[in-house]
Amino acid sequence: MTREEIQIEILKILKEEFEIENPEMDDNLSEKYHFDSIDAIQLLSEIEDLLKSELTMEEKTLAMDIRTINQICDYVESLLKDRS
Amino acid sequence: MERKVVITAASAITPIGHSKNEIIDSLINGISGVKKMREDDLLYPHLHSKVFGAVDYGIDYDFKRKYRKTMGPVAYYACQVAKEVIEMADLKNDFISSGRLGVSFGSTHGSPIVQRQAFQAFFSGSRPGHSSISGVDYLRSMSHTTAANITRMFGITGRVISSSTACTTGSQSIGFGYESIKYGKQDAMICGGSDEYDTTTVAVFDNFLASSANFNNTPHLTPRPFDISRDGLVVGEGAGAVLLEELEFAKKRGANILAEVIGFSCNNNGGDLILPNINGITQAIALGLKDAGISADEVDFVSAHGTATKMGDIIEAQAIRNVYGNSPYVTGLKSYMGHTMGSCGAIETIITLYMMEYGFIAPTLNLDEVDERCAMIRHTMKLHKSDIRIAAIQNFAFGGVNTSLIIKKFDN
Repeated sequence: MTREEIQIEILKILKEEFEIENPEMDDNLSEKYHFDSIDAIQLLSEIEDLLKSELTMEEKTLAMDIRTINQICDYVESLLKDRS
Repeated sequence: MERKVVITAASAITPIGHSKNEIIDSLINGISGVKKMREDDLLYPHLHSKVFGAVDYGIDYDFKRKYRKTMGPVAYYACQVAKEVIEMADLKNDFISSGRLGVSFGSTHGSPIVQRQAFQAFFSGSRPGHSSISGVDYLRSMSHTTAANITRMFGITGRVISSSTACTTGSQSIGFGYESIKYGKQDAMICGGSDEYDTTTVAVFDNFLASSANFNNTPHLTPRPFDISRDGLVVGEGAGAVLLEELEFAKKRGANILAEVIGFSCNNNGGDLILPNINGITQAIALGLKDAGISADEVDFVSAHGTATKMGDIIEAQAIRNVYGNSPYVTGLKSYMGHTMGSCGAIETIITLYMMEYGFIAPTLNLDEVDERCAMIRHTMKLHKSDIRIAAIQNFAFGGVNTSLIIKKFDN
């Protein structure tokens, strides 16, 4: 999956599951869209579905510092790299 | 410190309607909300009973996603009726978040639909990447999901009580809310119960041969509380909420007072978890009167639990006779909509309030021929124009829990 494909998938998830429309890639999701810990748990579950792979405890912990869509894409890219 | 407690708003989502007018119209015209059960891919083919008291109309929810994300169907119902009582009572935001408003609200066991979806995904192998049930699914399905979502949606910071005692969930919620105000712990409480469409509940009663199966092609003719042809209960869904306030607080803010809660009792049979118990129920009814400080002959109307099970109705009729004689009118309101489980105590209280306000007593639907073993009380056989001054709402649950709520018309 290319970086562009990851971005398309993440934006699709944010739109369909979180009702976040046309966000900027560096928007702070927490500040602008009230994205909270409940959303973070759900997003990780969506990423597991996307990757068809279970995330480890360490990987989930790393995600807790994520604030922007660009950072989500970096995170998914890194997960894919680890699994290739 | 004992303070007076009044009801200042009420709202219900029921199989016979959502608005007060719709519900009253069904009661006056004898319209049943029991329908043929919807087919599902789970239990439908295995059930004897194929009827259900369903909420089969749309509800215009206007909840933001940040609230919806932690809600299953049971919490949608709960938050909707809570929203309506807050609006009806015109509660101000500074009071809502003052810590003096609490929530006493429950359901039988959270959201079975969400639980089922989570377990299906987990055990069917359709989501192989998952090692655990999602935390969000827990918030949507947990036993106190109704109360928690109500506090979250409205920013309520007072105490939370979330009864989960099957058929007494709603009545306990109102009773415990009443006690919270009476003894000065809170100034107001949003109280009620909610349960969603769920065939696993039907399966439980089916298994005990306690669900109605003889009227699958004529659903409006069942359940039949106290009738000779009754053949068991019909499971239903819905929600009900009332706002309770301390009397002086309500007066001070100019609230419209609908009725006063004057008594509540709750006891347990101390033994069998399923069979109704004449001593336990009789005692619960008597304790309710004692708490209210009134005599039995002051009660004009009894809302019976009246599930239409073979034994339950006989025991309840005997207990009513033991305490009240044959003086008050007795109606089994489940005859209109089935047994709405965790919400029935709240819905039956709200319908009693409506009848109190509009001066009538609805008859028990489908009570064509009273079973002689239930005949020793004053059944409401037809619609009466009648001024209810004091009413008792009684409910009994699996687990041996019994409750009686006593409400009194308020003289403004």
